[in-house]
Amino acid sequence: MATAPRTTLALVAVPVALAAITTFVALDPRGPASLARHAYVVPVAAAALRFGVLGGSLAAGAAMLLMAPLVLPVIERSGLTPATAEGLVSLAVLAALGTLVGGAMTRARREQARHEALVAVRSAVAGAGTLDEALARLRAVLADRLEGDVALIVRDGDRTRIAGGGHLAPGSAAARVLATGRALFVVDASVGPRPRRVFVTPLVAETDVVGVLAVEREGELGAGERAALEALGAHVGVALENARLAARQRRFADELAGKVASATARLAEIDRAKSAFVAIASHELRTPLTALQGFSELLTLRRLAPEEVVRFARIMHGEARRLARIVDDLLDLSRIEQGLAPALYPTAVDVRALVADVVEVLRRAAPNHPIAVECDADLPALHADPDALERILTNLVGNAVKYSPPGRAVRVQARRAAAGVALVVEDQGRGIPAHALPRVFDAYYRVPGAVPAARGAGIGLAVVRALVAAHGGTIHLESTPGVGTRATVTLPAVP
Amino acid sequence: MWALEQPCRERPAPLLADTPATLLAALAGALAVTAALVAQGVLPRAALDVAGVAAGHGALLATALAWATGGRAWPGLVAVALLTLAAVAARGHPLGLVAYAAPPLWLARVAARGHLAALGFVGGVRARHVAAGAAFGALLGGHLLVSASRTLRVAIGGRPLAELLGALAYDAGANVIAAECFFRGALFGRAQRRWSFAAATAVSTAAYVLRYLADPLLPGSVAFVVGAVFYLALLGAVNCWLLRWSGSLVPGLTGALVFFAAWRLLDAR
Repeated sequence: MATAPRTTLALVAVPVALAAITTFVALDPRGPASLARHAYVVPVAAAALRFGVLGGSLAAGAAMLLMAPLVLPVIERSGLTPATAEGLVSLAVLAALGTLVGGAMTRARREQARHEALVAVRSAVAGAGTLDEALARLRAVLADRLEGDVALIVRDGDRTRIAGGGHLAPGSAAARVLATGRALFVVDASVGPRPRRVFVTPLVAETDVVGVLAVEREGELGAGERAALEALGAHVGVALENARLAARQRRFADELAGKVASATARLAEIDRAKSAFVAIASHELRTPLTALQGFSELLTLRRLAPEEVVRFARIMHGEARRLARIVDDLLDLSRIEQGLAPALYPTAVDVRALVADVVEVLRRAAPNHPIAVECDADLPALHADPDALERILTNLVGNAVKYSPPGRAVRVQARRAAAGVALVVEDQGRGIPAHALPRVFDAYYRVPGAVPAARGAGIGLAVVRALVAAHGGTIHLESTPGVGTRATVTLPAVP
Repeated sequence: MWALEQPCRERPAPLLADTPATLLAALAGALAVTAALVAQGVLPRAALDVAGVAAGHGALLATALAWATGGRAWPGLVAVALLTLAAVAARGHPLGLVAYAAPPLWLARVAARGHLAALGFVGGVRARHVAAGAAFGALLGGHLLVSASRTLRVAIGGRPLAELLGALAYDAGANVIAAECFFRGALFGRAQRRWSFAAATAVSTAAYVLRYLADPLLPGSVAFVVGAVFYLALLGAVNCWLLRWSGSLVPGLTGALVFFAAWRLLDAR
């Protein structure tokens, strides 16, 4: 049978039984000593078992009220006879029965409710994925069991998570308990006809206050219940702290998995880039070697005119320089990857002359590209390694030439800057997409969809950046796809 | 939620805050002067009855109204004036009993404006709550009639009709309404906002019982005193619960009126 019909049945049956027993006793010629009086025990005990101390006391009181008009007149008439004494004893027994049995029932129900609440707290928190979810579940469970408004506040690092309330106002009962760690009972927090009791207790994990549990109710919140709530607060605190730590652990695990996946993807990319680099570098090395091999064979096997010998020697010299530059780049890259700075031999360098030399060499190598040079008249000497500086300029201007269509101008500027000289190389090439711009200085990186003819190992700009940094300078790249790219290198002047 | 969003209040105001001390002192003074004048034969005995009704019930009603309206004295003055008029009219003419309708009607008017919500005069009283109050009053009154008639051999319904109607009018217009307004609406209402329900009920009921034990109209025999303590304590405690349960003073008021009607049926002289 469901609880509500049982309650209704008891509410009807107990008064009816009491009235019926009173009728029997009243009709019995033995008066207060009637055996039927013992039957009062049944409805009183039933009320005590069903409704606890309140029901037991009320039923006993009702039985006493009904029995009194039968007992007292006899006492008034005949004094304290054995019959009236039996009647008085029956009244006392009923009073004791209703109160004691009802009290025991109430205590037993309270203990049962406490244990059920603890189990409910554990199951509510156990399956929660996040701390917010655990809080919401826990609040729902507690609101249902405590028959009132419930709010939970939990500290999570610097944040305060709230379930069951909008915000935590300074000076509020919950804020006070959170600050002091002491439970607070407010007898009335209402302006309505019924008082509203408020009890706020700290949630404690080990010795730390991790939050608060607030209960509001238009009904009694007695000392016994408040003590039970304080004990519950300790359990809820531990459960929520465990949920918080579990959620944090899950979050860390997710973050770690993400980082591992990202690192794995990056390693795979680097691996692919290195494979591509080996292929490209082999080709880059083979080209000058093939040239050297071919021209040296010609010099060895054929008799050539002196002018032809000189021309071949120049070509071989150029290829040897190219080979040396590639080898230098590889060595520098190797040092960079080991975390070492490139080896530099700085001295005072005349920028104007250096720019002119580099541009002259590149003009000869790429006659279809007009390269304009603009140098300020009062340029200071740079404190730099001449070879490194030449490689920086060669790389930047070489790239500008390589990635520009034939006929498009490349402009090289040397300007006086605040603490030294700014070297600017501008082209009118296809430009670099915005997403690729932050990575163009990474070793082995090549912009996706780069000009197929513009071969390279993807190490030039990485070396340039390392060389500039080793000089205490900066490099900045701006690019607009379809318009062109501008590289600005700033290097310190001779102190 | 209050515990999170509202600043935590300091301790509530003292239990007896807003008591109209000047008015109470004036009522006590008037009663004393009247008693002295009656003793010297300057005023008739009826004048002391009128002063007793006005001062006794007026003090309770004025205090309850002052507590409910934040210390205002004028509602109490009006109540005292109406009670005085009713007592004078009831003694002046048989139909003067009708004047006892004035205090409850005036209170109903004030309550309709929402000024007496603190006493439990709120709108939307449920019929089942009122029925529960009436049923309890009838049960207790019936028990009183059975016990008194069987135990003390007190006659039932022996009073003349005019006297009975006068007593019922007095209960409805002065006695019950003043007692319920003060002991339940005001005193219990305040006490339960400071202490637990049990403690508030104990304070309110003890004061209620003491008030009737001090009433000169209560028969002086031990049996009546014990009976008064028993029944009034039960009535007071249950009316406290009725107020708490229903949120309204009306169910308890109904129960008390029914109980006192039963009491008036006894010829306890």
